[in-house]
Amino acid sequence: MLKFVLRFGTLIGFAIILVVFTIALPESFLTARNWLNISQQLSMLTVVAAGMTVVMVMGDFDLSVGSMATLAGVVAALLFTLGQPIEVAVGAALLIGLLGGIFNGIMVSVFGILPFVATLATLTMFSGAAFIVSGGKTISGRAIPEAFGAFARTGVDIGGFIVPNLTIVAALVLVVTWVLLEQTPFGRRLYAIGGNIEAAHLSGVRVRRLKIAAFALTGLSAAGAGLLYASRVASANPTQGSGLMLNAIAAVFLGMTMSRQGEPRLLGTLMGVLILGVLDNGLTQMSVDSYVRQVLVGGIILIAVALGSISKTRRR
Amino acid sequence: MNINLKTNFRRFALAAAALAVTSSAALAASVAVITPYLAQPGTQFYVEAFQGVAKEKGWDVNVIDTQGDVAAVISKIEDMVNQKVDAIVINVDPSQVQAGLEAAKAANIPVFGMDAGANPLLVTNVTSNGYAMAAETSTYVADRIGGKGDVVMFVFDAFPPVQQRGVVASAVFGNFPDIKILDKVTPDVSDGGIADSRAKMEAILAAHPEPGSIAAVWAAWDQPALGALQAIEAAGRQNEGIVITGIDANPQAREEIAKGGNFEASVAQDFSGIGAAAADAVARVLGGETIKQSVIYVPTKLVTVANAAQ
Repeated sequence: MLKFVLRFGTLIGFAIILVVFTIALPESFLTARNWLNISQQLSMLTVVAAGMTVVMVMGDFDLSVGSMATLAGVVAALLFTLGQPIEVAVGAALLIGLLGGIFNGIMVSVFGILPFVATLATLTMFSGAAFIVSGGKTISGRAIPEAFGAFARTGVDIGGFIVPNLTIVAALVLVVTWVLLEQTPFGRRLYAIGGNIEAAHLSGVRVRRLKIAAFALTGLSAAGAGLLYASRVASANPTQGSGLMLNAIAAVFLGMTMSRQGEPRLLGTLMGVLILGVLDNGLTQMSVDSYVRQVLVGGIILIAVALGSISKTRRR
Repeated sequence: MNINLKTNFRRFALAAAALAVTSSAALAASVAVITPYLAQPGTQFYVEAFQGVAKEKGWDVNVIDTQGDVAAVISKIEDMVNQKVDAIVINVDPSQVQAGLEAAKAANIPVFGMDAGANPLLVTNVTSNGYAMAAETSTYVADRIGGKGDVVMFVFDAFPPVQQRGVVASAVFGNFPDIKILDKVTPDVSDGGIADSRAKMEAILAAHPEPGSIAAVWAAWDQPALGALQAIEAAGRQNEGIVITGIDANPQAREEIAKGGNFEASVAQDFSGIGAAAADAVARVLGGETIKQSVIYVPTKLVTVANAAQ
């Protein structure tokens, strides 16, 4: 019994959270409207967390995702002010994400810098670049094409429900990342690196190249999330993505408590994202003070991870 | 008094039945105040004053701080719409939270701006009158120099709230035949505006070395005024009687004004007044009134040596 609780502690906790909110908010919590809202509110975090999972599978981190998201949004907005069409601006922003990710990958794999240090440095660089590109200001108003902002405000009618475009994008990113990690040799090699990098190397896995590719994907997804954010607020400012990084890492950690070996799995990450988002949504609706909410969310992450590591220690 | 009595009663019954945590004031109007900027001093004044009025009215106020995250403001508006609050107050550029405003409109929940910016989706925006603030300081300058002399203006046309201040000051000075605008300077603000304003002012001082050749410096906000003051002091020309004014009355400006030197006046926004007026606007709409003004202006206050220390 105890073993069961420890093994599935996070899921049980999530179920309890859902029950509590359903009872406390009978009119509003368990409605399609609310869940579509939640899915839309979580779309940016989902995309970043999916990308974060890719590097965390190898046991690495990317601390620069938040500032990359910011940089991508600002770059797109700047191109809008120069009269560039949406495709060009979006393409350029995604390219910057890809290049930034490759740069991270090279620092980590070729130069052998610890990911924590390398991406901490690029976090600062990307953030500084975002300030340079934007001149420190918020780019908003008429410079942003109407269609760009409208994308985040509209959706696709699926069976009578308007599913927000942001939700659809996040779902597509999830599917692609899942296939990549779980169904391709690429994904299996990343897990091999995460399991034992020496063994992977000796068995012919091209560690360097894979690491660069993985970081590139993380950078790309961060840029994608930055574009979603920019579309949602129809503007870009040089700090807007900064909240994404810690939440993405927290989501992956929460997800890791749900997998058998404690390795990151994309579905686990999705659960982690949902837990964070549902807590935020429910506690906001219950008028819990913003700051108390933060303390609660942090505490819940700690409890979940603690339960997870107890269950793993016991197994040894 | 309460337009949503029926829904609120139903909510009360359900909440009680479910032993909900939020049953405190189920019959009172519920109002959400959502801001990304609660950590900023001005915002705290708005919110405290708003809560003061709300307390008198017995409202259930939920203050939500998204800590700089503008997209989270949209999310919180959506959450509050879903929660069917009676009114929402925002303190963020409405054009950036359009998605949330549309959700509120679809649910017929009124949204009010508290120093937010005008937007057709807001019932009204409560703020200070930038035109009036500039009129206060530019007439102060004109009066102090006896309607005669050369004036240096620091403006910033790229930012609309500051641009309008420049327009008014130019009009006021233009109405005095003996006041000449010597130079209209747009400082580089990337480092905060003080350093570059100082450099620009130093150049102007060097170009006009005779005492009395510059009668006043009118700045559209406090930073250039502080920079100009530094330049004048560094050039040793603080005793020529050059009058400097700013706008916003930030702490550094108040300190200089209190010293009784060249920096003589600035204008303070009444943040508490804005918060209280926003609450009054909410009360009027909850009471069934329609507000016609898309912007409600709260009077500002001229700060001089007489009241700078307050």
